[in-house]
Amino acid sequence: MKKIYIAAFVVSAFIFTGCADDFLDVEQTESISTDDIELFNNDAGASQFVTSIYNKFLNWDMTSFGWIGLSSITSDDADKGSSPGDTGTDKDVLDALTYNASNPSAESTFNANYDGINRCNQALNIIPKLDKADPNLTARLIGEAKFLRAFMYFTLVKCYGGVPIVDHLPVPGNDADRIMQLTRKTAAEVYTFIESDLNDAIAALPEKSAYGANERSRASKGAAYALLAKVSLYQKNWQKVVDNCNKVTGYTIVDDYASMFRPAGKFDSESIFEIYAQGPSTGKVAKGIEGYSNTQNPRGTGGWGWGFNTPSQSLVNAYEPGDVRKAATIIFRGQTLYDGREIPNTVDNERYNYKAYSSAYTRDWETDVDIKYLRYAEVLLMKAEALNELGQTDLAIPLLNQIRKRANLGPTPAVSQSDVKIAIWKERRVEMAFEHDRFFDLVRTGQAKAAFAADGKVFVEGKHELFPIPAAFLKQAGTLSSQNPGGY
Amino acid sequence: MKNFIFSFLALLLLPAYMSGQAIKGKVIDSNGMGVPGAIISASESKTSADADFDGNFTINAKAGEILKVSMLGFDAVNITATSGLMTITLKESSDTALKEVVVIGYGTRKRVDNTTAISSISSEEITRTKVLNASQAIQGKAAGVQVISSDLPGSTPSVIIRGLGTALGGRTPLYVVDGMPTENINNINANDITSYDVLKDASALAIYGTRAANGVIIITTKKGKGEKVSVEIESFTGIREPLKKVKVAGSNKYAHYTNSALQATTFSQDQPVNTDWFDEITRTGTYSQNNVSVSGASENIKYFFSLGNYEEKAILNGLDYSRTTFRNNNEYKISRKLTLNQNFSFTATKSTPKPLSAFTNAYKQSPIVPVRFADGKYGVSRVGADGFASQTGSSFNNVGNPVAQLDFFNEQQRSQTFQGGLKLDYEIIESLKFTSQFNGEFYTWKQYNFDDTKEIWLAANPNKVSSDYEKEFPNANINLLTKGREEYYNWNFSNYLTYNKEFAEIHNIEVTAGIETNVKGAREKLTIARKNVNADENYWSLKDGEYATNVTSYKDEVFNEVKLASYLGRFQYKLMDRYLITGTVRRDGSSNFGKDYRWGTFPAFGLGWVVSKEAFLADSKTINLLKLRGGWGKLGNQNVPLNRASYTSGQTAYLGGSILNEGTTINSQIDPKLSWEITEETSAGLDFEILENRLKGTFDVYDKNTSNVILNTKPYSTSGITNVSPAHVGEVSNKGYEISLRWDDKIGENFSYWVGGNFSNNKNELTGVKDVILSPVIGGNLGNGQDTKLLDNTSIGQPLGSFYIYEYAGFDATNGKMLYYNVLGEKVTQDALSALVDKKYVGSILPKSNYGVTLGFAYKNFDFSVDGYGTNGAKVYNGKKGQRIAGENIEESLATDFWTPNNLTASNPAPFNQVPVASTYYLESGDFFRINNITLGYKLPLQSTGFISACRIYVNAINPFITQKFSGFSPELNGDGDPYKTQGVELDAYPTLRSFVIGANLKF
Repeated sequence: MKKIYIAAFVVSAFIFTGCADDFLDVEQTESISTDDIELFNNDAGASQFVTSIYNKFLNWDMTSFGWIGLSSITSDDADKGSSPGDTGTDKDVLDALTYNASNPSAESTFNANYDGINRCNQALNIIPKLDKADPNLTARLIGEAKFLRAFMYFTLVKCYGGVPIVDHLPVPGNDADRIMQLTRKTAAEVYTFIESDLNDAIAALPEKSAYGANERSRASKGAAYALLAKVSLYQKNWQKVVDNCNKVTGYTIVDDYASMFRPAGKFDSESIFEIYAQGPSTGKVAKGIEGYSNTQNPRGTGGWGWGFNTPSQSLVNAYEPGDVRKAATIIFRGQTLYDGREIPNTVDNERYNYKAYSSAYTRDWETDVDIKYLRYAEVLLMKAEALNELGQTDLAIPLLNQIRKRANLGPTPAVSQSDVKIAIWKERRVEMAFEHDRFFDLVRTGQAKAAFAADGKVFVEGKHELFPIPAAFLKQAGTLSSQNPGGY
Repeated sequence: MKNFIFSFLALLLLPAYMSGQAIKGKVIDSNGMGVPGAIISASESKTSADADFDGNFTINAKAGEILKVSMLGFDAVNITATSGLMTITLKESSDTALKEVVVIGYGTRKRVDNTTAISSISSEEITRTKVLNASQAIQGKAAGVQVISSDLPGSTPSVIIRGLGTALGGRTPLYVVDGMPTENINNINANDITSYDVLKDASALAIYGTRAANGVIIITTKKGKGEKVSVEIESFTGIREPLKKVKVAGSNKYAHYTNSALQATTFSQDQPVNTDWFDEITRTGTYSQNNVSVSGASENIKYFFSLGNYEEKAILNGLDYSRTTFRNNNEYKISRKLTLNQNFSFTATKSTPKPLSAFTNAYKQSPIVPVRFADGKYGVSRVGADGFASQTGSSFNNVGNPVAQLDFFNEQQRSQTFQGGLKLDYEIIESLKFTSQFNGEFYTWKQYNFDDTKEIWLAANPNKVSSDYEKEFPNANINLLTKGREEYYNWNFSNYLTYNKEFAEIHNIEVTAGIETNVKGAREKLTIARKNVNADENYWSLKDGEYATNVTSYKDEVFNEVKLASYLGRFQYKLMDRYLITGTVRRDGSSNFGKDYRWGTFPAFGLGWVVSKEAFLADSKTINLLKLRGGWGKLGNQNVPLNRASYTSGQTAYLGGSILNEGTTINSQIDPKLSWEITEETSAGLDFEILENRLKGTFDVYDKNTSNVILNTKPYSTSGITNVSPAHVGEVSNKGYEISLRWDDKIGENFSYWVGGNFSNNKNELTGVKDVILSPVIGGNLGNGQDTKLLDNTSIGQPLGSFYIYEYAGFDATNGKMLYYNVLGEKVTQDALSALVDKKYVGSILPKSNYGVTLGFAYKNFDFSVDGYGTNGAKVYNGKKGQRIAGENIEESLATDFWTPNNLTASNPAPFNQVPVASTYYLESGDFFRINNITLGYKLPLQSTGFISACRIYVNAINPFITQKFSGFSPELNGDGDPYKTQGVELDAYPTLRSFVIGANLKF
């Protein structure tokens, strides 16, 4: 008897030692373990990782209030709006160019883009492992992820200059990865990285026409060329601008400018890359840019929104007489909108952004208002600008006139290279007003100081070209990174 | 595993049989209690044996031989062995304390031989205070053990042993009930407990390794004893009321104060209604408990059955709680070498919870509002043009009618807990014992909550009618029924060998070695919410009912399972009865951690020196016992916040058409090195008994350091990861000392008395944080946008649970506005404060010291005792007062004396309507001293041979008196038990109660 017990004890101890480690492998049940990659090893699974990147563009921090503040309220096209006492957290200081290193909008935009970049890196890490998904599909998905990563780095480099390039998933505790995440690269290095991603995307992506009706907001080859052209424009690589614009094929500008910003104009022939928003129609989950319409829609009695980002007098003045784009861009209080809605005179502000108005889902938090980030009209204007810079002014003028004609304007009177340059810049402003381009365009073209002075604000050269790197990031980075110049 | 259980069951059914030529018997003390550990030696046969836990022994010897029976604390006797069952009575030697046995985990040890810090609380002390949970009853009775309890029926007290060593991890000590590790003892009937031992220092705790960092409490339940069947009945009934009430302003003062705040004469100062909302929502609570136990022992079987029932009608209207417990503990002596212990307990609870926010609402709701208007509709906070409450007037605050709130709150919870275990002891050879123990626990819980949405809306809007609801909320539900179900199954299986031997009369060693497996099964939870159910609750769940279209929420959760595998070993050595060495090591693997980081080794050692056994003290009349002990050890906490890498779904988007695409990403960054929080403790202690054992005392000092506390860090902004990432980055220190003293004496034959006390001091501090940016823990939310607590990089040097608020700087005498110090030391109003720089750390919810006192006497058949408890150095936040905004009521003292242009030197600022910022104005001292218990008992003079062999009747006052500095209901604020949440904040808090009880113990 006793021997049996001793034996049993010894044996059980032995078995126990042997399998204790297996015994301790507990399967997760409360959340899906990242070890279970097999669940995603199919076409639908692979696609999910890229969908989440597109989803990021619908987020409040990525595309809404902070971004509106940074890319639009700062510019001479827009004023803070709203009621005088409502600062919108920091929209007053953005409007006045008096923001500092802990500016919430600058911080949230920085964080949101890196959030999106993480989603790109997650997709780029996982998708190549999904060997049971269609290889053609995964190649395209990787192309989309690279396009979107390039898009976000372009936003970052425009806003902050050189930023850390996180090109793969960092391993916690790995020192090289820590340094990668905390060290700012130069703007040139960031541009090189963007171009490399875009070239990969170009190789992998199909033309827009190859996508089905339900996938029209996916990145296409044309979008990658257009973005590469824009990236080249920012680097003044004029020939590359022209070359890449020439590769954006299959697009035309639409006849009716105003139609582009209404539901009927979604994915029209001019649209190259747009953020798609599906309002809360019956039986559907609402998906739109969170608060994008609401924050910008008319405020006060008879209004329903927060009333921020209002078109400035300077913008109103920028439109030539007869320009149809003015009425398509600006809601004037007291007017009746295209759908018959009257905006009473009792609303708080004189003007509002028409491009953020949703007819069907007026009061909803997530509406059907898209953002058209890349349009063929811009491709024409970029090409015109580059050709002009290359001395081919005569080739630039017809492109400019094409845009003016659509706006119901006559041919440009400008003839000389320098006049044409100014004319193109001016055209860009009115053509693309409230499309999140103006502030960066002012900086790019060196017009900022004068433009802001005309608007009664002080743009400090050597400072305001770039937004402050968030103080929270610099605290993490320690000596590895430093603040942008100008005394933030 | 199953086979093992079956074989246990088979053993259970085995007829007990006798074998061998052994001499058997029992060693008892003068009271007939078994003397465990008594040593029986037969010099002729050269054998020896130990008596077991109940004093039974078996020794291989010849009848007629002289047996020597000795036991520390008793005078040794020589007796002639007989073949029949022997009963040997030992007479206690004068130093009684020496015979005490303490439970040390996987074994017991004589207290005098123990090198570690263990507080043992007797069953008598546990049952003396008539409360539901035994841990509440031990408050103030063990030095170094802080108990923060609440009188809310069914609530779990927080027990903190030698300071808080973790910020985010589990804080609960490990309870081991008859070998079953568990986190809660609400299912244990205090009357069934025979011993409650608190293991305090690392050298004692290390045998429990991974789960011991917060201390271990070992609870042993009763066993049958004695020759004959004994039936005991214990019954009590009592009434309960709030120990302290807060006087709020009456109608006219309210009107005066609020008018001043509004700078208008909105309210008439001659009000027809003066509602005392606290009185309206409370009642005199009643509670009672009845227990019956049947126990006894025969030669081979000991049995204990107990049935208990606890019923409480709480002071909050409608809040009822009941608990029924059943226990059966049996011991079978299967053979001379084989003993089987079986225990089983079943607990069922039923409660109808009510929202504690009713207390806050009762404080804030205006007294001018009637409970009901003349037409029977619930009163609402609307005021008419006449300045009186009216159904149609304008709303003047957002506080609901507390009576309506309770009336409409319809919830019921039921739970059942089954616990049971089998323990087999087998003596393989002399001195070597094998123990195999299996314990299991099954818990099931169900709940419903019925929200009468539309009726609640109508009650809050007396000027509206039923059809208005449909008009205003066209597609809203008229009611909502939420049902919940939860269950889990845990088990523990341990096997160990114990070897105990004395060599050459002076060397005594005991070695324990074993393995243990523990599984905390997956908790399964189902929650379903359904709208528009039948108004009659009988018809909520019809046969063949199909409710898919009415389901508004359906949650089906299975939480992660947790497994532990452990090896344990302990070596105890005693030289010449006075030099003691203990070494312990436990190696644990936890499924909570990554493969390479899941195993941890927890060593400890202890040293002891019984100085009084040395020659120079052996004859001392003054010093009866003097023992020095000390130790060091390492402990772990595996119950830490884990961040298991998982996919984040729900990142959906339409990609140009009407098809919603699923989106998934990963939004967490896992530190693969995440593992135990490890606490290292060095401690030393001194036990003494002097003056003929009349004065006993213990002194302990300790230094505990948790060097790898897990805190949430913020991943780098550029990682794009927004979820926090727990990492081992903090360091928490607890240093303290404990003293306990007790004087026992007799005056004459009939009068004996005692007086005792204990004091413990602990300094808790977050001593460091590694060079990372923490994701701040912002806590103590007041529900009005104000937070009161903070843990982040700035918290270094502060105790855990620290308040982080603005410092009140008095009020501006010119306008009565409250002022606060900003970072520059200037006095500013709340609008000029910056949340980033102007807040300060102003003390913690954790007390610096706590103390207990006890005294009592027995005179003839009377017994009397008093216990008290107090704490020092804690801060509490008056959350309900700090919530008050426009139109809400305030304390009478404030409404009587506040700043007006005519009263510039008032003690309170002018009334205002803003949300007040969290400030030291609302922070008060949590110091208190409370008499926890006064008991007076009388034993009826009965013949012990009569039908009723003993009867004691008693009266008991629980919490009869308190001295406190806090102006609220109770400075003892457990809240949700989390120092970074509601602990220490009086908001929606249940008041401490005063209870008067009458009861009787009967023995047949």
